[in-house]
Amino acid sequence: MNTPTPMIQVHDVRAVYGPHEVLQGVSLAVERNQRWAIIGRNGAGKSTLIKLIAGLLHPNKGALQVNGMEARRYSARKRAQIMAYVPQKPDGVIPYSVHDFVMLGRYSAMGLMGMPSHKDREAVREAIDICDIHHLADRLMSTLSGGELQRVLLAGAVAQQTPLLLLDEPTTSLDPAHERLFFEALGRLHEQRELTIVMVTHDINTALVQCTHIGALLNGHFIFAGSAGEFKKQCPAVLEEIFKVRFERYVWSEGKSEAFGAWGVSCPE
Amino acid sequence: MSGIKNPVGAVAILSLATIVTLIVCPMIGIKWILPSNIANDSDLRFVFLTMRLPRTLVAFFAGGGLAVAGMIYQALFRNPLADPYTLGVSSGASLGAALCIVLGAGGSAFGLSIVTLGAFAGAVGSILIIYTFAWSKESNSSTLLLAGVIVATLCSGLIMFLNFIGGLNQSFQILRWIMGGVDGASYSLFFIMVVPLAAFFAIAGILMPQLDQFLTGDNIAHSRGINIRASRNLFIVITALAVGAIVAICGPIGFIGILAPHAGRMMIPGVRHRLLSLCSFLLGGSFLVLADTLARSVVPPSEIPVGIITAMLGGPFFLLVLFRSKNRLLM
Repeated sequence: MNTPTPMIQVHDVRAVYGPHEVLQGVSLAVERNQRWAIIGRNGAGKSTLIKLIAGLLHPNKGALQVNGMEARRYSARKRAQIMAYVPQKPDGVIPYSVHDFVMLGRYSAMGLMGMPSHKDREAVREAIDICDIHHLADRLMSTLSGGELQRVLLAGAVAQQTPLLLLDEPTTSLDPAHERLFFEALGRLHEQRELTIVMVTHDINTALVQCTHIGALLNGHFIFAGSAGEFKKQCPAVLEEIFKVRFERYVWSEGKSEAFGAWGVSCPE
Repeated sequence: MSGIKNPVGAVAILSLATIVTLIVCPMIGIKWILPSNIANDSDLRFVFLTMRLPRTLVAFFAGGGLAVAGMIYQALFRNPLADPYTLGVSSGASLGAALCIVLGAGGSAFGLSIVTLGAFAGAVGSILIIYTFAWSKESNSSTLLLAGVIVATLCSGLIMFLNFIGGLNQSFQILRWIMGGVDGASYSLFFIMVVPLAAFFAIAGILMPQLDQFLTGDNIAHSRGINIRASRNLFIVITALAVGAIVAICGPIGFIGILAPHAGRMMIPGVRHRLLSLCSFLLGGSFLVLADTLARSVVPPSEIPVGIITAMLGGPFFLLVLFRSKNRLLM
């Protein structure tokens, strides 16, 4: 028996964006069923990396395989059956009802005419269940709050029923209550199916709770890529190296819980 | 307004209104032609069958085609101001027509006047420019819109130049052509226009689910399995060809292409594009039939160019709806 290929295999990837090289030789292997958080400063290349994986951008150099195949070789439809992407926010107002929007997630599974089958309706119902948006189903997308919208975007991706989910700062603009609802939905999803997740986030503590692995980008390189447990051991030093601000470790419940907080004070040299 | 209205009811009402329009409007004109006249009076029957009926059919399909084309461009560019002429197709057609008029090219070929053929050639020329640009690396929704505006402006400049060097009579002909109209419609013109339109409706009808995805934004649409560039360019070219066929025969009739899709969206908010295209088609078609009926009945025996009527009716109506609508523009 061969060992299963990694879900994502990034090898020495370079990506140029405008005048400067955003990713300067990045390598990463994401195994199936892992949940990765990519952290780093603004402009560190986090979004570029996730867009490369999503096939929205193409690397200038290096190899990037998803599910055993070079990312840029996927047809649009085939890619949509392997991975779903949730942006931080949509590009503009989406003029559909919530239910119809989630149904749009089934596009790659439908035939040319785009007529939903029983299976498509089932998938939509399940996605609405998981994301707990029953009460929103008949609303127009334009009437949703930021927190509601984010769960609806997630539901659209969930309906795609892909083994890989890519989240680009999914909760950055949400209050803590809606952030909790979002991650509860993600938790239910993870309980129900085998799923690999890669998310870009600024919230280190949420990442440590929600993810199994952390990748920390600095100046176009990973300065850390490994398990969340190992990452915690190297904190707060690694956080201070990335962000150049003081971090404190807070421990409670007899050492069972810990979190890291920044105070906006520069690091001592 | 957060709920979704009943789309089936809306389509049923629209269909009924369309049928009534299509039955009643051909009867109206300088002289009313009632069913009893058609049965008894051979002169009126001739007028009805060879003039009013083909004219109504041309107006209906031209209006419907412009409405669907406008809806497609609005969705494709996610811009409520887009219309069938956004990419410069009508300007190209006008330039082709103006050139034929100034060169004094008379006569006809394939049952079409040289001016009509020139207009279609101009439309195809402008489509080719835009299409070549659309496959270039720099093209995106914004640069494509800009390229369309540039092509249109360039054509307008050339038309002005032709107006300037042409005689008084030719200038008037150019101006009259640009106003648009469906007078002079015949069955042969109808069939020449409706064949490419039918192909357009069939292909666009199949592709409508892709158009739905465009309004979720490029990133989400891509993630859902849309090849953004290929899909967008296919929509651009089939739509432009359909618009070219309409404009070559009817001239650049304004307002319908921008107005009808918005009216459809306001009737049934949140509707997906396959149904919206049907609503837009019925609205646009009926509207042009009504406008043309007015055009030939308001100041008999002369006829007002229908483009003037669509603008004068459509503009104020649309402003009214816009001011009163809680939804504003639903895209």
